[in-house]
Amino acid sequence: MATEEIRLNRLEDYLWEIPRQGGMRVPGRIYASEKLMAGLRSDNSLKQVMNVAHLPGIVGYSLAMPDIHWGYGFPIGGVAAVSVDDGVISPGGVGYDINCGVRLVQTGLVFEQIKDKLTRIVETLFSLIPSGVGSEGAIAKLSKPEEKRLLREGARWAVTEGYGHPEDLSHMEEGGRLKTADPELVSDRALERGLKQVGTLGSGNHFLEIGRVEEIYWPQAAHTFGLFPDQVVILIHTGSRGLGYQTCEDSLKVMNKAMSNYEISLPDRQLACTPIQSPEGQDYLSAMAAAANYAWANRQVIMSQAERAFMKALHVSPKELGFALLYDVCHNIAKIEEHTVDGKKRRLCVHRKGATRAFAPGHPQIPADYQNIGQPVLIPGDMGRYSYLLVGTESAMEKTFGSTCHGAGRVMSRAQSKKQSQAINIDQEMARRGVVARYQGRGTMAEEMPHAYKDVADVVETMDDAGISKRVARFRPVGVIKG
Amino acid sequence: MANDRGTYREIEHTADLGVEVTAADLPGLFAVAGEALYALIADPATIESRDEISISATGDNPEDLLHAWLCELLALFNVQGFVGKRCEIAHISDGQVQGRVSGETLDLKHHAFHTEIKGVTYHDFKVWQEAGAWHARIIFDV
Repeated sequence: MATEEIRLNRLEDYLWEIPRQGGMRVPGRIYASEKLMAGLRSDNSLKQVMNVAHLPGIVGYSLAMPDIHWGYGFPIGGVAAVSVDDGVISPGGVGYDINCGVRLVQTGLVFEQIKDKLTRIVETLFSLIPSGVGSEGAIAKLSKPEEKRLLREGARWAVTEGYGHPEDLSHMEEGGRLKTADPELVSDRALERGLKQVGTLGSGNHFLEIGRVEEIYWPQAAHTFGLFPDQVVILIHTGSRGLGYQTCEDSLKVMNKAMSNYEISLPDRQLACTPIQSPEGQDYLSAMAAAANYAWANRQVIMSQAERAFMKALHVSPKELGFALLYDVCHNIAKIEEHTVDGKKRRLCVHRKGATRAFAPGHPQIPADYQNIGQPVLIPGDMGRYSYLLVGTESAMEKTFGSTCHGAGRVMSRAQSKKQSQAINIDQEMARRGVVARYQGRGTMAEEMPHAYKDVADVVETMDDAGISKRVARFRPVGVIKG
Repeated sequence: MANDRGTYREIEHTADLGVEVTAADLPGLFAVAGEALYALIADPATIESRDEISISATGDNPEDLLHAWLCELLALFNVQGFVGKRCEIAHISDGQVQGRVSGETLDLKHHAFHTEIKGVTYHDFKVWQEAGAWHARIIFDV
């Protein structure tokens, strides 16, 4: 079915529904403004929303956030909650980059204090936080037993090894560690790939961004989070690196073979899945948890390396710098959560593929110091315009299984973006936007320029107006490093 | 892009990178698909054929076999940092492919690195025969 033939009913200003049809077990629901929906007509993401609705055990709706775009299997920006008792787990609904996520670090500095030293800071960050592509590593290569300890402990491993501080752990989803991780279910090849990539950014859309607090929308929440105008903040966007990619590949192979045993047939092989309660499903969840722990350790080490870089470039003490983790979110993951559906509490496996958890104030899984405000949601932009801090709401719990958007969302293909970038000087263009940028591959940078993305303000405004998440602050990027 | 065994072109995909490969026969298709994968990682013009590595893969049908072959080639880069310049297929039969890749270890100072590839997706993955030629459509997660 061509995208233009897909029937869409507009339910509310920002909510659209694709009625159940064919093998769909539930309807599709898409959060988007009229402007964003117009853009979706030209790609395949709506068809992918329909495909996800075929998953056995899916509950409620196949959901899509306003940053939805064409991915592989699931759309990027897709959310699917399935029943733990009789539903399936789909590695493609998590993605290759298991626990790709974002963390927001605050400092005690204002922009004026770093303005003249920005180039030095960016260059020091670039030298201490490698992309990890090819042979370079950030920290000494691990032994396999040490790596397995990391896979069990997650961010806690990094803190024990001297990267960051114990208080950081309470500001991460799950405390930076999924307890169900089993490193023995991670393949040798995945382990091999993970040995020297701890503390590396990767390439593609991953980056580290230095920003300044440009606008505060909700002063009380900003105060709770310790944010103030013109404050220097750092966003780190990366995931589980090669170990995670390999774990996804390994499990897709297993599930593609095993699916017929469970009489599951789906419109896209990338949606391969098995029942959550099957041996294959349980093995994947344990391996996925190990890879998720790798991602938390990776972001923890990168944050610590960033602290070192700032201290080195500015000649300041840790106390003067005031590095502190505001929060860390996952946006490619499947989590077992409790949600209320039709008035009943149910245990669901919530797949978020390019979507962020957005729990409401008072939820027991929110850090104690943020209980009154809601879970922080971190939305990186396009490295040129702005990034956002939002919080989860009760509406998100009721309508989206506690989920919201994760970023700007691409609007232009990589090939188109590269073509458009040929006409400009990338460094000059970033400088014009007030951003000092250092990057490994010109090609990646050309594909990832701000023009390739939707305006993240439109995405965030949609979720704010729909009541799914609430804006707290906006950050203006001033420095970026990329693999 | 074309060489003596076949051609490939990049196809439009919003988030990821895709290629469509055409060759006269199945060995040619596998060789050109492998070279296309490496060309997405780094500019082949900057890579020398310094070392040669033997690779084999198995699969129940041409699609699974091509997928497995590309996963093996990607692992060479991801585990050893090896970037291929040219792929040669020794034989394809009974669900097995055997071949060789010549290239060298990526050196960020000397090679034009492009992007890391996270995986060879199954999304829209196709191998088909048409008008006397073999074709494949592959989308990589980047």
